[in-house]
Amino acid sequence: MTFLIISQILNGLGLGMLYALVGVGLTLILGVLNIPNFAHGVLYALGAYLAFTIANLTGSFYFAMFLSPLLVVLVGFLLESQGVRRLYHAHHDYQLLFLFACALIIQEIIIIIWGPIGFSLLPPPSLSGAVDLGFLIYPKYRLVLICFALFMIVCLYLFLTKTNLGAILRAGIENRDMVKVLGINVNVVFLYTFGLGAYLAGLAGALSAPIMGLTPSMGLDILPICFVVVVVAGLGSIPGAIIAGILIGLSQGAATIWFPEATNVVIYVMMGLTIIFRPQGLFGVR
Amino acid sequence: MKKSFFSSLKLKIASVVFGSLFSISSSVSFADTVNILGLFPFSGPYADSGKLTDQGARIALEEVNYTINGKKIKYITRDSETKAGPAARRAQEAIDTEGVKFIVGPWSSGVALAVTEVAKKNKVMYYFSGGTEDISGKKCHKYAFMWAANAWTAMDANLKIFKKANPNAKKIYLFVVDYAFGWTLQKYVESLAPKYGLEVVGVDRHPLGHREYSTFITKAMSTNPDAVYMINFGLDAISAVRQLNNFGFTPKKPVVMSWSSGFEELIQLDPAARENLIVGSNYYYTIDNPDNKKFVEAYKKKFKGVPPGYAGAAGYGLMKMTLLGMQKSGSTEPQKVITALEEHKGKNFVGDFEIRGRNHQTVRPFFVLQTKKKSEMKNKYDMAEVVDISSTEQPKNINMCKDIGSF
Repeated sequence: MTFLIISQILNGLGLGMLYALVGVGLTLILGVLNIPNFAHGVLYALGAYLAFTIANLTGSFYFAMFLSPLLVVLVGFLLESQGVRRLYHAHHDYQLLFLFACALIIQEIIIIIWGPIGFSLLPPPSLSGAVDLGFLIYPKYRLVLICFALFMIVCLYLFLTKTNLGAILRAGIENRDMVKVLGINVNVVFLYTFGLGAYLAGLAGALSAPIMGLTPSMGLDILPICFVVVVVAGLGSIPGAIIAGILIGLSQGAATIWFPEATNVVIYVMMGLTIIFRPQGLFGVR
Repeated sequence: MKKSFFSSLKLKIASVVFGSLFSISSSVSFADTVNILGLFPFSGPYADSGKLTDQGARIALEEVNYTINGKKIKYITRDSETKAGPAARRAQEAIDTEGVKFIVGPWSSGVALAVTEVAKKNKVMYYFSGGTEDISGKKCHKYAFMWAANAWTAMDANLKIFKKANPNAKKIYLFVVDYAFGWTLQKYVESLAPKYGLEVVGVDRHPLGHREYSTFITKAMSTNPDAVYMINFGLDAISAVRQLNNFGFTPKKPVVMSWSSGFEELIQLDPAARENLIVGSNYYYTIDNPDNKKFVEAYKKKFKGVPPGYAGAAGYGLMKMTLLGMQKSGSTEPQKVITALEEHKGKNFVGDFEIRGRNHQTVRPFFVLQTKKKSEMKNKYDMAEVVDISSTEQPKNINMCKDIGSF
């Protein structure tokens, strides 16, 4: 039983890191732009599909992991500069409808280009196979993924806390109007924020492809989890999103041991409990 | 001024649109056409199958040039979303507004159980691809037919071939999708396993649409089973197989995909992840008969040389059987078509095909495949070979359809 619990903690961590990456991107956009990005899921899917294509074209898995999130950033820039920017002063309903429409359109584009049937993206030979941890045989790729996602989260944390741009983004989350008053071009801040959110979604999508595979609906599958991360974390809380992502992954692992039918429900139970007992989220202030 | 111009323009457009709609609806009567609804999942967890099923149905319609018994066929589609509520609502809406008399679809058992009630209430013929046994079991009625092999037939065939290929195997672990059809199959596997000297050492039910199986896999591996026997479908099954391979379970030990769409699922897996799978399916494109060759050719023409899987074949098969009933009865009235299909006995593209009048269950071949290693594949679509074909009928005493009722 102890081994089973330890292995589920490891699984939960791997899952949680992915949720954290994709959830942090969403919470950044929501915090700074005050817009619920319903296209976040398809940006995740786009990251995976672009990684698949680049890996096939170039034969390099690592190059695909590097380039695909950057291409998703370009799509993010396009969405923000040509669409979302025009709706900042509109009612939330319009923003929501616009982004949801974008999500559906991008998903259909994925089907048109890549087809309705999914694909597999294999990790490179050096990351394939499993390692014997003594108590558990665990896939190498998943171990690397946990370490890499942790590295990316630390980098993101340092960027947000140690750089000027990071400070501006955090200030934007706290008080957008004050950032404007300080003479900072908020359009550029918004553009970069959306781009950073898109990068994290694209990166999570690319990293998840060898584990989950690729399907056109993968973006819509991950979207509810992203929003749960944001709600549990507290609106706009970056550390909260990281911890909430990991907590959700761990709770899914725990549910599998004692109540496997509830592995999906447990996510929403967590959200419900948070809303009832701590409406501002675990780390939120508003 | 500008506003009033646009207001009047809007009014004009509206009057033209509504005027033309009215003229169309008044000029076309439901009696002039046979209206068939294809209710398939174009979104939701089985969205990958919806379009393929629809295309299969269209090939059957093209074969008769959208005409039957001197009437034009009007084929309409609705998205089942793999959700019982929306699917039943849309089926009712299509019956009310489009005059639909025949429904084919909708892929998922949970959804089918809702749609079959709509068909019964509205006296509309309904052909379901497969496979909750309730359609031809405890929820059976005169208007509903089941195209797929019975779940019992399928599970018996899978276990028989698994044991034949792995004579030393003793323990199996089940992954079961947590809804009506999954429960049915689990029940049969648990009752049939001892017959083949197998013990079910663990069962995990997972939610429909689940994509992350690491937690289930580590739990299963802790019991050291000789195989993981999967009772799940589509993307759920693909994700689980892929991750079982990541964890090094396959190819060392076999995985049984007990109710697979065959081609459509296997093609999504890399050859390395496909190794050592035993795959049960209602269809595989290499079935050797002239009707199947004709269908495969027509399908490949539509899909750039890609052969059909279960989804495409089911769409084709459902529509073919509906049309066959119309041809046999010389009618497009559901009750006459149904009567013509009861006790039907013949051959079609899957082989010998019989319909039991007492429960509307089809007795037909179920195919068990063994996947090939990459080195054994002649081309990228040569993924498996059919190692067994079983038509063993479900014992009559365990079928839950005790009285199919009347019209």
